[in-house]
Amino acid sequence: MNDQAYFNQYQPTPNTWDEMFGADAKIRKHYQKVINYLTKESIDDLNKKEDLAKRLFMSQGITFTVYSSGEGIEKIFPFDIIPRIITGEEWAFVEKGIKQRLNVLNLFLKDVYSNQFIIKDGIVPIDIIYSCPHFLREMYNVQVPYDIYVHIAGIDLIRDHDGTFYVLEDNLRTPSGVSYMLENREITKRLFPDLLPQCKVRSVTEYPNILYKNLLSLSPRQIPNPTIVLLSPGIYNSAYFEHTTLARLMGVELVEGRDLVVSNNKVFMKTTTGLQQVDVIYRRVDDEFLDPLVFNQTSILGVPGIMDAYRKGNVAIVNAIGNGVADDKAIYSYVPDMIRYYLNEEPILKNVPTYQLGNPDEKEYVFENINKMVVKRTNGSGGYGMLMGHAATLEETEDYKNEILKNPRDFIAQPTISLSSAPCYMQGKLTPRRIDLRPYALCGPDGIEIVPGGLTRVALREGSLVVNSSQGGGSKDTWVLL
Amino acid sequence: MLSRVASSLYWLSRYIERSDGILRMLKINYASSQDTVQEFTWEPVIRIFTGLQAEEKEALGNDSRAVLKYMVLDKENPNSVLNIITQARENARSVQEHITKDLWQCLNEYYHAVRDPALSFWIEKDDPITALDILIKQGMLYYGTVEITMERGEGRAFMNIGHYLERGIQSVDLLDTKFGSLDDNPDLLTDTTYWKHLLLSLGGYEIYLKTYRKGFEAENVVEQVVLNNEFPRSVLYSVNHIQMYFERLKSENNIDNFRELTFLIGRLQSSIKYSSVKTIKQDGLHEYLTRIRSELFNIGNVLNQHYFAYS
Repeated sequence: MNDQAYFNQYQPTPNTWDEMFGADAKIRKHYQKVINYLTKESIDDLNKKEDLAKRLFMSQGITFTVYSSGEGIEKIFPFDIIPRIITGEEWAFVEKGIKQRLNVLNLFLKDVYSNQFIIKDGIVPIDIIYSCPHFLREMYNVQVPYDIYVHIAGIDLIRDHDGTFYVLEDNLRTPSGVSYMLENREITKRLFPDLLPQCKVRSVTEYPNILYKNLLSLSPRQIPNPTIVLLSPGIYNSAYFEHTTLARLMGVELVEGRDLVVSNNKVFMKTTTGLQQVDVIYRRVDDEFLDPLVFNQTSILGVPGIMDAYRKGNVAIVNAIGNGVADDKAIYSYVPDMIRYYLNEEPILKNVPTYQLGNPDEKEYVFENINKMVVKRTNGSGGYGMLMGHAATLEETEDYKNEILKNPRDFIAQPTISLSSAPCYMQGKLTPRRIDLRPYALCGPDGIEIVPGGLTRVALREGSLVVNSSQGGGSKDTWVLL
Repeated sequence: MLSRVASSLYWLSRYIERSDGILRMLKINYASSQDTVQEFTWEPVIRIFTGLQAEEKEALGNDSRAVLKYMVLDKENPNSVLNIITQARENARSVQEHITKDLWQCLNEYYHAVRDPALSFWIEKDDPITALDILIKQGMLYYGTVEITMERGEGRAFMNIGHYLERGIQSVDLLDTKFGSLDDNPDLLTDTTYWKHLLLSLGGYEIYLKTYRKGFEAENVVEQVVLNNEFPRSVLYSVNHIQMYFERLKSENNIDNFRELTFLIGRLQSSIKYSSVKTIKQDGLHEYLTRIRSELFNIGNVLNQHYFAYS
């Protein structure tokens, strides 16, 4: 029994939804099989598994490179060996909620780049939209295939102290991390033989096939084998591993901006046998860098003239350009109203209450209660430039307030949500750490499909509520049970 | 195939072949430095595989461990095995979906092996052959993995062209350098260990013994390294393979470029095929090898211009 000391010492965080432990300190049913399996392993066994996981990531080159003192150092994205488990019921609810939300966000993008009924009907204020830096006038009245703007969405979900799911943010531009959903599962297969089938964990391997099928359906040319490419910024991008993984799994060409050229409003790639026309581009380059003739003139990652080809309908681009207006953090708070407006339905997934600092009353309320708030930039990402009110010093808070006053529209505030916790294996002990969930939804002409799984990010620092990888976050394999 | 991808595969393959050549050369030379009563000179090796100036060569001297360290692990030496393998891996990284996962993992492991601190311990303090063997084995794993897993398509053709071009250039360089040393030191002509080491560093010792029963003669060495099509590191063998793999790139879309290169390769192939030791002697060995080298370089340049120049 000594071997299980790491398990008996588990102390769930008070006032927090623990994914493994119920309120009465009993293990939830869906964790039981995993715990039974784990308690048969000694600390030594688990340490070995942890080492094996690290070795597998390293030898497969699932790494990102940090450049310091002139040489690249290979790092792995921290991985916790204990899976995060979601029941079939929880998943059915999440799936339904995400489908509803994504549906509406696509309708919103179509509307905002054409008739703008939602503005005319006064649901979303015009200034919020036109002041958003990601609202691109260049997209106005551009026809996109099947009116789909968001083909791939990563909707971030969190759970409050009573287990309720909330949408934290919508990522509708180039959401990343899906390769970790796939690779983490491969690692788990190696670490815990037989455990996955025993627990009836649903498979995630269909993801690249669904994505490929959707990309294929977008080709403007009706030909047997359209050319589909994945456009990457290149090997120095921190998500490069993901780009190669997806290209390989789908069997499509991985290209960089310098491989493409636009001629006569068509996109071509430069091959050993001359130019070959490109039909569909899954791009992992941001809007801003996509076309130096239209957006950032200094960009060398993009393709000059690609926007013209896109507007003429000669090439499909995934995700569509200009999606940032729908995942802007100031627009976020209007999503529940959009759901009511477009579908006449109540939102299934709740929003975290959000205060617009552009609104003077709300700003005043936030300033009075700032130690209970999280303040974010509306166009920020990666966990940069946030203020965690409960953890900040007085001085940091004052500095941040001054920053807000310069341009209040650029900020929103949300009450601190505690985030659910899950057990992590750390230095021979199971300890609770805060987690979130990013499922990946794929939208094609046949509707929205979500592979049962996703990326669970973990705030590895004790007590931390920030799960972003740039802020000391790691990840877990995410199981959805049958 | 994307031009950038073709170029990366070609260079990946050249880099691996180069590191293999360097490592084998170092291994044999190190062994030979342990088996001589005179002072052993590293000068020919350094001349072939580095671009060092006279005074820099001087500084390195004939200290075997220092030379090994410089040639294998030195970060400042652009042609050190460490840097070459890093380059090979960078090339592979940008074309990961064109090589198999096995091959990528193999290169990745090679890269981690060459950066392993144990390696510098073997080279600086203990038995350097162990370090060289570890790396040579990684190279052999690479060749095996390519052979077993890689698709026989356009990409493989570019890899093989790079591979045999690099090999041909190496054999020419080695022969030229070794025979060049004879001008300063004619005694070497009758020194059997001198020829033995040359053949060993090309992996051609056994085949020589089987072909020529009368001991070591300079003319026979030339014949084997230039003209023997059974010897996988001979110049003729390399050029024949360049020709064979280039033939597979034939496509209606760029037939003019294809014809231009076919002509260059065919001309070189014929000029070697229809040489003999006698005609080579008439031309002068150094002149002959210089011409072959510049034609090999030219094939590389034209290939770059017509197939890789994507910017």
